[in-house]
Amino acid sequence: MFGWEFPPEISGGLGVATLGLCKALAHDADVKMIIPKNVPNFNIENIELVGLNSIDPEDIEVLFGTEPTPKIPILPSSFKQPIGPYSSVLPSEFLDQTYYEYYNAAIQPFEIEELYGGDVIAKVIEFEKIAVAYCLKDDFDIIHAHDWLTFLPAMHLKMITGKPLVIHIHSTEFDRTGVESNNWVFELERRAMEMADCIIPVSNYTGDICVQYYGADPHKIRTVHNGIVPVSTKVDAKKRKGNLVVYFGRVTQQKGPDYFVEAAKKVLEYLPDTKFVMAGAGDLLETMILKTASYGIGDRFYFTNFLNKDKLDELLLAADLYCMPSKSEPFGLSALEAAQFGIPVIISNTSGVAEVLPGAMKVAFDDVDKLAAYMVASLNFTGLRQAVVAADNSSLNQITWEKCAKEVMQVYESLFNETNNIC
Amino acid sequence: MPSICFYFQVHQPYRLKEYSYFDIGSDHHYFDDEKNREVLKKVSEKCYLPANKLMLELIKEHNGKFKISYSISGVALEQFETWQPDVLQSFKDLAATGCVEFIAETYYHSLAYIFSKEEFKKQIEQHRKLIKKHFNQEPKVFRNTELQYNNELAKFIEDLGYDAIICEGVDRLLHGRSPNFIYKAPNAHKIKSLLKNYKLSDDIAFRFSDQNWSEFPLSAQTYATWVHSVAGTGETINLFMDYETFGEHQWEHSGIFEFLRHMPVYVLAHKDFSFKTVSETAAAYPVRDAYDAHQLTSWADTERDLSAWLGNPMQDESIAKIYQLEQQVYASGDVSFIDSWKKMLTSDHFYYMCSKYWADGDVHKYFSPYDSPYDAYIYFMNAMSDLSIQLKSIEKPLKNAVVKETAPKKTTVKVVAGKKVPGKKAVAMSK
Repeated sequence: MFGWEFPPEISGGLGVATLGLCKALAHDADVKMIIPKNVPNFNIENIELVGLNSIDPEDIEVLFGTEPTPKIPILPSSFKQPIGPYSSVLPSEFLDQTYYEYYNAAIQPFEIEELYGGDVIAKVIEFEKIAVAYCLKDDFDIIHAHDWLTFLPAMHLKMITGKPLVIHIHSTEFDRTGVESNNWVFELERRAMEMADCIIPVSNYTGDICVQYYGADPHKIRTVHNGIVPVSTKVDAKKRKGNLVVYFGRVTQQKGPDYFVEAAKKVLEYLPDTKFVMAGAGDLLETMILKTASYGIGDRFYFTNFLNKDKLDELLLAADLYCMPSKSEPFGLSALEAAQFGIPVIISNTSGVAEVLPGAMKVAFDDVDKLAAYMVASLNFTGLRQAVVAADNSSLNQITWEKCAKEVMQVYESLFNETNNIC
Repeated sequence: MPSICFYFQVHQPYRLKEYSYFDIGSDHHYFDDEKNREVLKKVSEKCYLPANKLMLELIKEHNGKFKISYSISGVALEQFETWQPDVLQSFKDLAATGCVEFIAETYYHSLAYIFSKEEFKKQIEQHRKLIKKHFNQEPKVFRNTELQYNNELAKFIEDLGYDAIICEGVDRLLHGRSPNFIYKAPNAHKIKSLLKNYKLSDDIAFRFSDQNWSEFPLSAQTYATWVHSVAGTGETINLFMDYETFGEHQWEHSGIFEFLRHMPVYVLAHKDFSFKTVSETAAAYPVRDAYDAHQLTSWADTERDLSAWLGNPMQDESIAKIYQLEQQVYASGDVSFIDSWKKMLTSDHFYYMCSKYWADGDVHKYFSPYDSPYDAYIYFMNAMSDLSIQLKSIEKPLKNAVVKETAPKKTTVKVVAGKKVPGKKAVAMSK
């Protein structure tokens, strides 16, 4: 299994989801988890965790049987800018020109500091080369890759070994950049979907995007909704009667922070005591701060920047309402996290999590009036809060990583059966 | 000599408009006149008009041997009068045949029995007067909203002077007995309880057009044989259903009207069988056993209880709060406040808030004019907030004897060319 972001190194839902799944899978399968970077002494029971950063140069030498050279694939200069999995990449024909050649280039020890900083594509390509060589040392039955960052080694390995390839779609370039997305990452995703034996999107919503925008074969798609680890903090009894409305997640176009601010403005005209928290970092953060200031509602807004888990839990304990007006949200783990704290949640229709939280309040992401109306009603009416929380609580009981792992095992088994039938 | 007792429920609520929080204080008309008129027109065309026409033909064809009963809510009759006088006329034509009986119910199709006995009685009386006015009949049989029923209610209705009361034949209370006899609540003296035969009723009301049903497509002839098989094991087969079954829930192309057209012939082909209205049924047969219902039952959902209207926090809060306004509303003496308040008591508002079957796209969703139970609740709460604020604003002047005379006492809504003019009400209440 190939992963990129992995605890304790996390910045979004990908790391949390990858860990949750592989932990639960470990009961039924031997999981070898290949990630770019691991932290010494961070181990997970029953899982062989391999951080490529911790492979010695000597081992690399043995692995490739040659002296490592400092040469790395040359990328067009346009890629040499900070990019992350959640910001866009400029279009290029890179994949077509170089894909079948670059892995012949020489190898050097893998070093990585920031997963999403610097030239991510260069890191992705380095990761690919070493990961493939490393994996060929041992036998395995299935290749499972999480998001575009790990699709290269997964595809390469499939080409060499013919083993079944499962790609897990936590997020697509389409979600991140919209309909205009037509770039290297998009193309990589498209090719991976083409080559994969099975595509596991984290929601039907995302599965539809794979089919509609990437031309993926609908028969290969098997949705598996994410799970969530139950919270240890007991919060059900807490009666929420305050007026603290929370947004948390990256402050990027994808997450719809501007709709949150617009709705807040409207709410404040009627309920001037309401307070809003925007917890998260992102390229639109400054814009949002300026916007609230220009509306004269800056004093009702709190911008916290990125919060770690402890701080986030603290915030959720105090919050009265959670909003996620995402334009396109493959899943939306944060809505589940909020729901776990007994907070009523408002989510957009264009989110995967809506499929597992049928009792959440749902709005079209750009319907600011309705979002504001739901905010006001949630703050004013006890019955609504209680009904939403009760409905979400009953949904949460069904949302486990065990269920998720079971469904992934079914995917594996169906692939084994297919392979056996051919043989 | 078994008989068939057909009773059809006719009801249309005053649906609330998408009343936003931001409308509170500025908009005092809460009902979606346009939607209500549209729905009424659609259902009239698909069901009420063709079904009434067919019933009239059947009554004439069978020379008085085909008999039926209706319970029409006051709010439905009001809306007919305002927007579809042709439907009201067709019911009057049916009433004139002498083969049609009208049943008593709460004017506002409400849950008043549970929340205010006073209001409950007022609404029954208000409905009685309306039935008398339109159809010149004094109802002798009562049915509560959605067949909500228990022993205590049976006794309460007996004390109001009714001969019989209609209820669901709930399996868990029948203990294996047949619903095809007359029963009585153990605490009642003489009021008879007519139990719905839900199997044979639902064959028509719910399963008729279900292509997965093993009996699909159901013919009038087959159905008559099922009815005839009751001979010797029952006295009355109570077929109770929504009137909208004909043409609205079961669409015309399902063959429901053809089924109805031919069914009486096949039923009457067996010489022992006849059709009776509700009070004829009650008069014809003796009480055979006690039907002991402690908890309130109803004909809704598979649970046959009150969980369609009450039980989730939104339903419980909103209904409790609307009834809390009762004193204030009457104390205001303002006809339009009273009218708005009473229309908000209609059970449908709380049915739309039902969240029992979230994602199933079930029957609740089918009937709801809103996107979600939350929306139903929010519009209701917003409208109620406005009403409540209105009431508070006139409380003070009312205490002051000097301004009493000038307190707004605007009356009925004017009807111009069949159209309600909501503006009148707004003016009346905005002072």
